[in-house]
Amino acid sequence: MDLVLQFLHNTGFYLADYRNLIMIVVGSFFVWLAISKNYEPLLLLPIGFGVILGNVPFFKGFGIGIYEANSVLHYLYFGVTSGVYPSIIFLGLGAMTDFSFLLANPKLMLLGAAAQMGIFFTYLCALALGFTAPEASSIGIIGGADGPTSIFLTAKLAPHLIGPIAIAAYSYMALIPIIQPPIMLLLTSREERLIRMPEMREVSRKEIIIFPVVGLLLCTFLAPASIPLLGPFFFGNILKESGVVDRLANTARNAIIDTATILVGLTVGASTQGDVFLNAKSVGIFALGAVAFSIATASGILFGKFMNLFLKEKINPLLGAAGVSAVPGSAREVHMMGQKEDRTNFLLMHAVACNSSGVIGSAVCAGILWSFLIG
Amino acid sequence: MFGLDAIAHNNGWMIAITGAGIVFTGLGALSFVISQLHKVVALLDRPSKATVAVVAEEKISIWTPPDCPNDIALTIKLYQPLIEELPSEFDLAELYVLAKKYHLPHPHLSIRCLINAGRLESLGEGLFRLQT
Repeated sequence: MDLVLQFLHNTGFYLADYRNLIMIVVGSFFVWLAISKNYEPLLLLPIGFGVILGNVPFFKGFGIGIYEANSVLHYLYFGVTSGVYPSIIFLGLGAMTDFSFLLANPKLMLLGAAAQMGIFFTYLCALALGFTAPEASSIGIIGGADGPTSIFLTAKLAPHLIGPIAIAAYSYMALIPIIQPPIMLLLTSREERLIRMPEMREVSRKEIIIFPVVGLLLCTFLAPASIPLLGPFFFGNILKESGVVDRLANTARNAIIDTATILVGLTVGASTQGDVFLNAKSVGIFALGAVAFSIATASGILFGKFMNLFLKEKINPLLGAAGVSAVPGSAREVHMMGQKEDRTNFLLMHAVACNSSGVIGSAVCAGILWSFLIG
Repeated sequence: MFGLDAIAHNNGWMIAITGAGIVFTGLGALSFVISQLHKVVALLDRPSKATVAVVAEEKISIWTPPDCPNDIALTIKLYQPLIEELPSEFDLAELYVLAKKYHLPHPHLSIRCLINAGRLESLGEGLFRLQT
């Protein structure tokens, strides 16, 4: 009888805490969103299932949980806390990215820079709310709309916040179709949304191959702390564009990035154990994440309008919203918004150019914040 | 500590302004460099003056698929972002649905041209992939 009672005391039913149950509901909601609504399933399904997994109650001290040394989940989570997975994901991203649109219209790169202002604005807001400088930087980087970059910087500066920051970053990326369109409508007139972008020039293969080398040198000389992200990113891109290592490029953009995405999603989800995750800081992070995303979108659009004051050939300011690095979600939203006004206006390629610039911009921002705060 | 005091205490204004300045400078510089890149490439590609050998011009015959959109390169540019949203091996119907969703012009014709031009490679069993 004692043995049965002892066993019952070790079951999840006995050990369950209301916070675990809340998180299991949240995880199930993510899984539902991914499967039924098709909202960023590649991200939300592993994260949602990870949330459920991480909140199964267990007897602490047996090396089971993600925060317990020597547990399997702890070893898998090492890729997150060390910043390894984000670097691997950037390798795959580089092998997927086509920079020819950006090379054809380099001034769109400035929109990618402008959209990073959400990061610095949110950094100030987080400081004002009482977060420490490393925590504020990690929260601010959510405005880059780049999950791997958020995880990387948080792992370096505020590892205790990885769970809420990663969940906030990925959740807002999934919510782009809800967050961005109202801001676009609010900040642009119909005439502006109707602006057509000029035909793109043909970009030579040599330019495409030279770009990853030039981009790497320029960005990492400026912010060497961004090497762990931009190094693999541009390396992945030259694998793709060189055309001589198709096998490697295919592996980077398929098997490698998929493996890293699975592991990062599952372990980040599992890191949201109710007792660690459900606190006032997490609520603050989610609120600030929404601010970061909205300001990033708005600053990109407003900078597009500002550029039009000086440009002979106007650019469509909607493109500024794609300056956040949520690839390809924000580019898709910009394209759809343009098409709502004029079905023959194709903004997709131009928006992808801004997206590529946003990926570089957010990685540079992460490098800058990291170097400021470790100094 | 909260509010403006907390920002000032953590040197927040300076970090934010300097950080924003560095990002703009960096991406602005990169933007300028890549805007000049094609000129540098053109310089490198300029034929050497020393070589005066006359080579008989080869007549290059370019096969253009009938009824195709005029510019296959443009078609690829339009369709590449769509293909990147799909798995590496995809069904043509999925690509067609995406093309319709984004209101790309004459999707049937364009997809057929991509196949004719050898840019969509058939893998059998109805699956295709982009030939990079």
